[in-house]
Amino acid sequence: MKKITLSIIITCVCITASAQQKFQLPKYTTFRLANGLTVNLMEQKEVPLISVALSLPAATIHDGLQAGLSELTAASLVSGSKNFTKDQIQDKIDFAGATLNAYSSQEFTRVYARFSAKTQDIIFGLLKDIVINPTFEEKEFEKLKTRKKASLEVAKQSPFSVINYYWNAMMYANHVYSNPSSGLISTVNAITADDAKKFHEKYYRPNGSVIAIVGDFNTAEMKAKITGLFGEWKKASGTIPNPAAEPVKMPEGANVLLVNKGDARETTFYIGAKGIAKNNADRVAIEVVNTVFGDRFTSWLNDELRVNSGLTYGAMSRFDANKYTGTFKILSFTATKTTFQTIDKALEVMNRLQKGIDDTTLQSARNYVVGLFPTDFETSGQLAALLNDMFIYGYDAAYINDFEKNVSQVTPAKAKEIIAKYFAKDKLQFLLIGKADEIREGAKKYGIVIEKEIKEDSYEVKGKKTF
Amino acid sequence: MQIKKWGIAMLMTIVLSKGYSQLKPEDVKTFTLPNQMKFLVVEDFSIPNANMYLFWKVGSRNEYPGITGLSHFFEHMMFNGSKKYGPKQFDKTMEFNGGANNAYTNQNVTVYTDWFPAKAMETIFDLEADRIRDLAIDTQMVESERGVVASEKSTGLENEPKTELWELLFATAYTTHSYRWPVIGYFEDIKNWSKDDLQSYFNTYYSPDNCVVVVSGAVKFDQVKAIAEKYMGSIPKNKPPKPMNLIEPEQKGERRVFVKKDVPTFNLMIGYHVPPTGKADYYALDLLDAILTNGRTSRLYKAVVDSLQLATEISSFTENSFDAALMVVDATGAKDKDPLLLEKTISDQIEKIKTEGVTAEELQKVKNQKLITFYGQIETINGKSNNLGIYEVFFGGYKKMFDAPQEYEKVTIDDIKRVAKTYLKKSNRTVAIMSPQVED
Repeated sequence: MKKITLSIIITCVCITASAQQKFQLPKYTTFRLANGLTVNLMEQKEVPLISVALSLPAATIHDGLQAGLSELTAASLVSGSKNFTKDQIQDKIDFAGATLNAYSSQEFTRVYARFSAKTQDIIFGLLKDIVINPTFEEKEFEKLKTRKKASLEVAKQSPFSVINYYWNAMMYANHVYSNPSSGLISTVNAITADDAKKFHEKYYRPNGSVIAIVGDFNTAEMKAKITGLFGEWKKASGTIPNPAAEPVKMPEGANVLLVNKGDARETTFYIGAKGIAKNNADRVAIEVVNTVFGDRFTSWLNDELRVNSGLTYGAMSRFDANKYTGTFKILSFTATKTTFQTIDKALEVMNRLQKGIDDTTLQSARNYVVGLFPTDFETSGQLAALLNDMFIYGYDAAYINDFEKNVSQVTPAKAKEIIAKYFAKDKLQFLLIGKADEIREGAKKYGIVIEKEIKEDSYEVKGKKTF
Repeated sequence: MQIKKWGIAMLMTIVLSKGYSQLKPEDVKTFTLPNQMKFLVVEDFSIPNANMYLFWKVGSRNEYPGITGLSHFFEHMMFNGSKKYGPKQFDKTMEFNGGANNAYTNQNVTVYTDWFPAKAMETIFDLEADRIRDLAIDTQMVESERGVVASEKSTGLENEPKTELWELLFATAYTTHSYRWPVIGYFEDIKNWSKDDLQSYFNTYYSPDNCVVVVSGAVKFDQVKAIAEKYMGSIPKNKPPKPMNLIEPEQKGERRVFVKKDVPTFNLMIGYHVPPTGKADYYALDLLDAILTNGRTSRLYKAVVDSLQLATEISSFTENSFDAALMVVDATGAKDKDPLLLEKTISDQIEKIKTEGVTAEELQKVKNQKLITFYGQIETINGKSNNLGIYEVFFGGYKKMFDAPQEYEKVTIDDIKRVAKTYLKKSNRTVAIMSPQVED
């Protein structure tokens, strides 16, 4: 067993008044078990709770043609395991007032728990068994599928609930990042408990996974406990090829995907282009620039579309970064009749950004991102998630500890470079969900329009070769 | 058998953990300015940040037809310019100093929330004091904000079809009290209120004695007090508003409403009148609520979602209220199932509690859940400010927050049975169903 200790265990992480101005990641211990499971332990004693996050390589990028498989597998974990029936699992969780659940996303499945330090042995016992030995009992699996299918149908009533699936289908085309994590009614229907069992066998493995435990415990004791509990988890052979590493060809011409929602009273839209990978060296500078452009109340987008014109309740822009690549998008919504006025204003703001950002505005953005940064890492749950993300996406404590320094280096000249490189105004793609009969003609000025019906099962863009 | 043994052991360990939490009543320090603006302060240096939560005791319950939605609209206008900091300057200044803010309005209160690095506290006080003392209502800003609020209402309806049913439930359960209209107001009223309505609302309700301010974070009590005195001490009090005097008459028979809508699965809501927050039977009702729907082992989840599969989701909720509140059971129907069968199954489960009661273990379970929820709520500086403010405003004093674990502990099996019988009865309920099939 190779042990890597990054830091000395400390018993108190209270930040003293003199250290107030600079936020640092609290100390933690990291080591790897013989079976390859990476373990991070961080003591936090403000409340007598413990948070756990365990991330596994099981992810929607491995769903293949069985969209929704990864998510159904994760949701089934609490439905029964080798040593506990479904009722036993749920009784124990609820009696302890604990949370123990799992969800799946594009690049990992995360099992998360939060519980009283006093009940840790019970919850750790459950957590281990549901991760290593779930049974995927057929009757329970079918019930889950029925609920999932109903929720997929309900989601189609809400543009916010489905817009990302269309966007990923449009931007990532045949790449695995386009897999809809919740699945489709047709694919969920065809997935069996046995499929989930096989998926589990292949992707729930200690090597390549990470567990972070943050909260009220003693590190030496916890280390012994976790080593005992997860040490017997059998190491899987070989490594899992990552299909997301395949190159992505994003659409380049001017394209519009118009999704018809017959009863829409408003148009919900994305405008965007290729973005960045999570470990991009310019990540912090991009965050500062995007803060000015569309990521705070006084951002140029919100100021123009909401405050100055009252066209919408909100407009923003964001970078959704994955391990290998990501997208950039402007998002907003407005009454059907003001659709094009609003989109045109968003494009005007995009044009204005190309001229650069003055230093006073940048100073404000720098202060803003630094000022609020610590609140993202305040709770044991936030810190456990951070320690998982650092492992998955390959960044370290320097992201936190050097954040302020990196932010301070975003000068107007640097901002200009960032804008030219990451906020290019050509190659923009448009996605509109609304009443097609009223916006079809107007949409044509932005590019080739391809239409879909929101009630269709698939999000896939027909004729996407043109994109 | 094994579960039960473990259950008893757990019961003991959880009880022992009580009182462990770092936050104690003496950690909350208070002062009141001569204008009766009250402050609660919690020093917490776990991160170099602080917050300020301002709880104004005004919400849609203070409105009347013609100005429905004005409390919420007013909340928006508080960001649109005052004497020293003109239009846009509130947000610009706060963000330049590394802070952010938001606000929310409900039936009872309007709450403004500021989050900032601790070193920016004085600026935050300056900004808040300026708009509380000298809000300047700009006609042009009123017009653009109308569009914003119309969009806010519209996007709520667009993305959450249940909104329509929720509004109808309240409109039916309340015939007299102002809880009967939606917080965001009627579209017609949003279009029609005037600058005078806004000014008069400001003069009536935004008086310092109508506000409780909570500050938590990396700040010292003495420093907060000195800055508060400097910036807010001289804000004059206004004439006290006329008290809201509407009382909802007792409901004397079941009410039923239907909405025909092309939804893939039906929605069912059942609302029961219950006493105001923090008043009689509050803790017993809160535990009954958890017994019904909190977690996968709750009575209703087990019966209607897991076992009979009549619904895909079920929850229940009672909003904090100054006046008699509504406890709402909210279910999303399963595909092709009968709403009336779901309704009957829910009723049968409630009847069972009335006749047979609940088990000791079940009661202990929800008490344990409440304790863990409480710790979760005070883990962050924002959770601290929010909870202290809510207890101060709705429960008659922030100290009650620290009594909550004991209050829950006192609730007995008989209390649960009794409150189920008293409040969850047919004559006291309103049933609302949204479905594609409605009898012509």
